[in-house]
Amino acid sequence: MPKMTGAYNDNDATDEMAEDTTNSSVEPAPDAHDSDTVNATPGAIENGSAMVNASDASAAGSGSGAISTSGSSTDPSLNAHVKHVRGAGAVSRADSRDSIHRRGTVRSGGGVRGVRQGVIWTIFAIVVVVAMIFVITFAKQQAPKVKPAGKPADTVTIGLKLAPTNLDIRNQSGSSLDQALIGNVYEGLVARSVDNKVVPAIAKSWVRTPDGKSYIFHLNDGMSFSNGDKLDASDVVWSIDELMRNGYQGADTLLNFKSITAVDERTVRLDLTAPYADLLWVLAGRPGLVLDKDGKVDMKTQALGSGPYTVAKYVPNSSLTLKANDRYWAATKPATQTIVLRYFSDDNAAVNALKSGAIQVLAPIDQRLVSPFKKDTDHYVVASGDDTDKYVLAMNCAGEKTSDRRVRQAIRYAINHRELIASRGGADKPLGGPIPSLDPGYEDLNDVYPYNPDKARELMRQAGYTPAHPLELRLTYANIYGTELGDQLRSQLKAVGIDLKVNVVEFSTWLQDVLKNHDYDLSLVDHNESHDFASWANPKYYYNYDNRDVQLLYGQAMVSLNDKDRDDYLRRAARRVSEDAPADWLFNYRITTAMEKGVVGFPLNLNQTLLPLSLVKYTPLV
Amino acid sequence: MAQHDMLPAETVHDGRLGISDVVAGSCQADAVGPAGAEGSPQGRDSSPRPALHTPDEPVSLKGLGKLAVVLRSMWSQGEGRFALVVLACWIVVSLASIVWTPKKLWETDGYHVWAPPSADHLLGTDGTGADVFSWLMAGARTNLLIAILSVMLAGVVGVTLLMAMVSRSKMVSAISVVAVDALISIPTVLIALILAVPMGASIAVIILACGVGYGLNLARIARPQALLAAGSDYAVSARASGASGGYVLFRHVLPNSLPSIMVQLSLSAGTAILAESGLTYLGVGVPSGVPSWGHSLSTSVKLIDVYPLTVVWPGLTVTVVVVALNLFGDVLRQAIDPIVNTALRKVAA
Repeated sequence: MPKMTGAYNDNDATDEMAEDTTNSSVEPAPDAHDSDTVNATPGAIENGSAMVNASDASAAGSGSGAISTSGSSTDPSLNAHVKHVRGAGAVSRADSRDSIHRRGTVRSGGGVRGVRQGVIWTIFAIVVVVAMIFVITFAKQQAPKVKPAGKPADTVTIGLKLAPTNLDIRNQSGSSLDQALIGNVYEGLVARSVDNKVVPAIAKSWVRTPDGKSYIFHLNDGMSFSNGDKLDASDVVWSIDELMRNGYQGADTLLNFKSITAVDERTVRLDLTAPYADLLWVLAGRPGLVLDKDGKVDMKTQALGSGPYTVAKYVPNSSLTLKANDRYWAATKPATQTIVLRYFSDDNAAVNALKSGAIQVLAPIDQRLVSPFKKDTDHYVVASGDDTDKYVLAMNCAGEKTSDRRVRQAIRYAINHRELIASRGGADKPLGGPIPSLDPGYEDLNDVYPYNPDKARELMRQAGYTPAHPLELRLTYANIYGTELGDQLRSQLKAVGIDLKVNVVEFSTWLQDVLKNHDYDLSLVDHNESHDFASWANPKYYYNYDNRDVQLLYGQAMVSLNDKDRDDYLRRAARRVSEDAPADWLFNYRITTAMEKGVVGFPLNLNQTLLPLSLVKYTPLV
Repeated sequence: MAQHDMLPAETVHDGRLGISDVVAGSCQADAVGPAGAEGSPQGRDSSPRPALHTPDEPVSLKGLGKLAVVLRSMWSQGEGRFALVVLACWIVVSLASIVWTPKKLWETDGYHVWAPPSADHLLGTDGTGADVFSWLMAGARTNLLIAILSVMLAGVVGVTLLMAMVSRSKMVSAISVVAVDALISIPTVLIALILAVPMGASIAVIILACGVGYGLNLARIARPQALLAAGSDYAVSARASGASGGYVLFRHVLPNSLPSIMVQLSLSAGTAILAESGLTYLGVGVPSGVPSWGHSLSTSVKLIDVYPLTVVWPGLTVTVVVVALNLFGDVLRQAIDPIVNTALRKVAA
């Protein structure tokens, strides 16, 4: 018997040592997995943008194009979370080791229960303390900061979301490039105003011939590029000829193009094969840009134009520095000498940059992250501007179940748009049809299918569906829009007897399955393009919407000789589309911009595609 | 040999009837276990002494008594009590959520999103206006399922590999050791991302990735101990007396590796829950609309700056459960170890 006890004690010692080392050798494996999870996060999440050019599917595939508020990565917060969890893991480890040693004492000296309960309380206390530190840290960050007194700043830094891949405006798609360069570095024959109307730029005026097939543009006097080269009619002609000959970005939107000629040094004539009502608006974008025919620069990293700014420095995916162009030809000079555009793919990082004063303006800011700035009216201004982003819930018109018009109508009646908008922060606008308020032909169509679940249920009954035999539909959309919209739609449609299976996929999967193969019941995507009604007149587009009347009306709109006729035709076509319910327009996304008090002249409307900066000025608060 | 195959239980039982020397012998063989698990058994003078049988016993009435003893000794320790209480709550909540949650899971309310805790919503609401408490309750059962299935798969994969690794065939053991060493370098997350390509986001991805990944770990960690047992004198004697390879494996090798397998499995359960959160955040885990703690975390973690409380609840749940699982493994290992747990010896004797 004594021998046995001895043996046990001996084993105990070995046991304890072994256990200690076991713990340290066993742990690294799960830990390694932890760190993998964290490291993998940024790369996997930051996969860019999700916009679809209605007119150009391949442009959408290229990955850049616009903004979504919902999809974003949140590395800092995730890291924080993992640290939090891992902290607790460490506690358990230390604790278990502790307990092993204590077990020795307990066994020899009898049970000390209080100590063990203390351990549990310690775990709880640590967890609670960590939680409190969280709360306090975030509360602290809102503390006011001291600002230097002074006059207008020489440099204004602006935070944006999507970075251009390179600066080649002729070959690189993506609205971030339009946003940064058009109106700042490059100028077009004409330009767009903040309410999406055509205004003079290089051409000070223009005349359209009565048949609508020819346009005469009169150019401004004494224009030059930022390198000193003279800008005249020959540069305009060369730029548009090059565009059409080489098929640069936007060439496919310049329809019915026949020829462009220089009448004299300050007059240009553009001829069309047939009238094209959107011509001027198109020329205000990339197709109308005027480049220096004698300029020799590397288009990917530099930009040479006639605008108020020049590119001083370009760091891909990070920042673009613009400097005022000393030789700018127009009377109004830029208000700020240097403007830095900084790109944040991570929403939280962007918000922190605004809080710390690293940037003065942030556009867009996630509506859900905006409340601290809204409350701090002493230091910040928060405002929303109109945009042409349409969140389109497309219902496959050739789909097995959704080809039934009653089903599509029921879905439109079943969706409570105001609730969706409220949950997103309330800045967005309801949209009842395919044309947003900044586009020609807009009309408030929200009364076509107002929220009415009873009517929806009645339509579902007529279509042959009952609670015992509900309709099953699948909704396919890209993960960058977040899971909330899908969850809400499922909840709202469940109320009228539709079982919605939400399939959140990679954006590339959406492009393949929905846009290319038309394999879907319901799809959700943000169509951000302006003047994109053409997609409803195209039966081959993924909507599978084929209505002869709509196609005729759109055709008439495009050949109409004045804007009023065009708008009338578009309005009628849009109403027709809305009534047929090939889709539901969840809302018209509006851009929210947050800026420090003291920033003026920053455009709010459309600032993700068009961001003229020459009026931006920042006077730090005293 | 035929005799062994036909009457294994009886043979063991005969051994059981032996004197205290036998018990001491078996205990010592067992005590080598942790040293083996450490991975460097050479450094210690711990060659196992011969044993006539394993400490394990076929399930019988005594088995139930043993279970009670094990539970009681776990309960008597603070960590064990904490682990048992948390795990019991977890199971009860999971079962309850099947029939009842305070609010319907699909109920959303766009006018009351990110609401702070109130009488109506115990833990507030999330970004769709759904009840966080209900989602956490329902998430408990998804996570329970994931933990159980991952651990089962890890056990099957791990034990299979373990058997290959300690096989007497040089080729099989060499190949499997190299294979495990190579495969163990692939992170679980990577396995999941690869699996997600054909399978999409699904619970099966998590279970497969965790099961395989942790199974490899298990085999790697239990191998030294299993090797010791396989090379021990009692295993050699068993074989000499005509026992088949399978008999030696299941009678001697596995039971001797059991303590480290147990710890590793319970650690795996905890890690599987962490992995679920991580993978769901990456979009390859639990699909949208299926409640899980990872889902609750990933939908709210983006807004931790603005609504920190909403993130804290699922985070706290995961933390507490994972801590409980880790403690559970630790305490269980002690409780089923007849050397440490004197009460168990009494039942066994």
